Amino acid sequence: MKIKLITLACMLGLAVSTSATAASELEKLRSEVDALNTKAKEWEEWKAPKTLVHLAGYADVGYVDTEAESGSFNVGTFSPIFHYQFSDMVMLEAELEIGIDEGGKSEVGVDYLTIDYFMNDYAALIVGKFLSPLGQFRQNLHPSWINKMASAPVGFGHDQAAPNAEVGIMVKGGFKTGNGTSNYALYVGNGPTLELEAPDEIEMIETPGLNKDGEGKKVVGGRYGLFFPEQQLDIGLSAASGETSIRQGSSGSYTYEPGRSYDALGFDFAWRVVGFDIRGEYIKQEVGDDVTSVAPTGGEWVAWYVQAAYKFNNSNWEAALRLSDYDTPHASQDRNQTAIGVNYVFSSNFIGKLNFEINENPNAGLTASDRTLVQLAYGF
Amino acid sequence: MKKQSHNTVKSIVAAVFLLATTTLLNTGFAAEKPNTEGGDAARGAKSWVDNCMRCHNARDPKELRDDQWITTTYHMRIRAGLTGQETRDIIAFLQMSN
Ligand code: HEC
Repeated sequence: MKIKLITLACMLGLAVSTSATAASELEKLRSEVDALNTKAKEWEEWKAPKTLVHLAGYADVGYVDTEAESGSFNVGTFSPIFHYQFSDMVMLEAELEIGIDEGGKSEVGVDYLTIDYFMNDYAALIVGKFLSPLGQFRQNLHPSWINKMASAPVGFGHDQAAPNAEVGIMVKGGFKTGNGTSNYALYVGNGPTLELEAPDEIEMIETPGLNKDGEGKKVVGGRYGLFFPEQQLDIGLSAASGETSIRQGSSGSYTYEPGRSYDALGFDFAWRVVGFDIRGEYIKQEVGDDVTSVAPTGGEWVAWYVQAAYKFNNSNWEAALRLSDYDTPHASQDRNQTAIGVNYVFSSNFIGKLNFEINENPNAGLTASDRTLVQLAYGF
Repeated sequence: MKKQSHNTVKSIVAAVFLLATTTLLNTGFAAEKPNTEGGDAARGAKSWVDNCMRCHNARDPKELRDDQWITTTYHMRIRAGLTGQETRDIIAFLQMSN
């Protein structure tokens, strides 16, 4: 009897202690699930936080062999892009341009820096230094992982026929039109400046995006583009007008002439058809005469290119061909170029390029140097 | 002198135009609105196919995190002149495919 009672007491004790352990286990589990839920909610926040920070950009490295010069390895550019966005209201975009010059010295530039205010679904206000919206090469194709060639077309480099950048204010956006969409950019900016060559000649139109409007007269310009999704066809018309002036002296003590007329006109297209990516563009910048100037004669800087690229089905190989031409008031600067390229597309943003350029200088009766270029470009 | 006043007028016209568009077009977004609300992934898939190969090779939706697709697509909105609705649709599609 005694033994029975003791056994019962023991079993009861055991049951009580087991259920107490189970309850505390349950409690522990519950708090663990709660903690996990909180964590999961925190992760959810990643999907749509109000403030976003993102680092993008691209870089390219390679080898250039110029006829009659020694071939050299080179670092093209490292261009980090910073994005800071608050809600659907504002975004800061900035791209740096970091490179190394011939002598090994590092150079840093600001490619663009703007604060973009999304006014509504059809318009964003962009203020700061932006890539020129005239045409398509500078604003849409110049990053090396996008450009099918290892170089810019002749006339589309820095301070050539195609304007590079602008400091000012721009409205950019798009809207539906019939079975396509329209996109537009309209800006007011400081405009370019003119560089003197000989004491009485304008060497070039400089368009780096000037932080001071020397002669105080603005340039107004823009681009209107139409995109037809069915046909995969983009066309665009660009124009700008205003005044510019000759700048002399050195940084910090520049002097500017009074203004003279400045106009630009451009046309561009892009068409993706039967596996080909075909593009072309024409741009003209024009400076008026000014009898009171040290360099009274103005001039026209004109360039165009057409390019076709074809990516072979189910392979990583791509072939590209580009013809380009650049005409200036100075015969020695004129160029025409045929560029042939073979690309290996490792992935959509990592591309190896092998190019051969035939460069000619027909208007001066000179032969410009042909070049072979190898480039590895990576966009991130 | 004539030229100068002509240009000043041009600048003023341009500035007024820009300010007017800003004011007229500004429907005033609530700052609290998330950047992706109202996106439709099905419509976004079509817009993505239509638009995201216009300038460069298509980038894999799995390449970036959901939040990174927001900034990237807003960046592309500016580059390509997409509408706000297209942008939200494409973000919904990219985040769904991620
Ligand atoms: C009008 C041309 C154009 C269209 C259309 C376009 N992109 Fe881009 N994209 C660019 C350019 C130019 C860059 C390089 C950015 C720079 O250098 O400022 C870029 C960069 C990118 C990058 C790299 C990250 C970054 O922000 O730089 C990604 C990813 C990308 N695009 C995805 C897309 C997607 C998704 C779409 C469709 C919504 C799209 N692109 C449509 C021109 C375009």
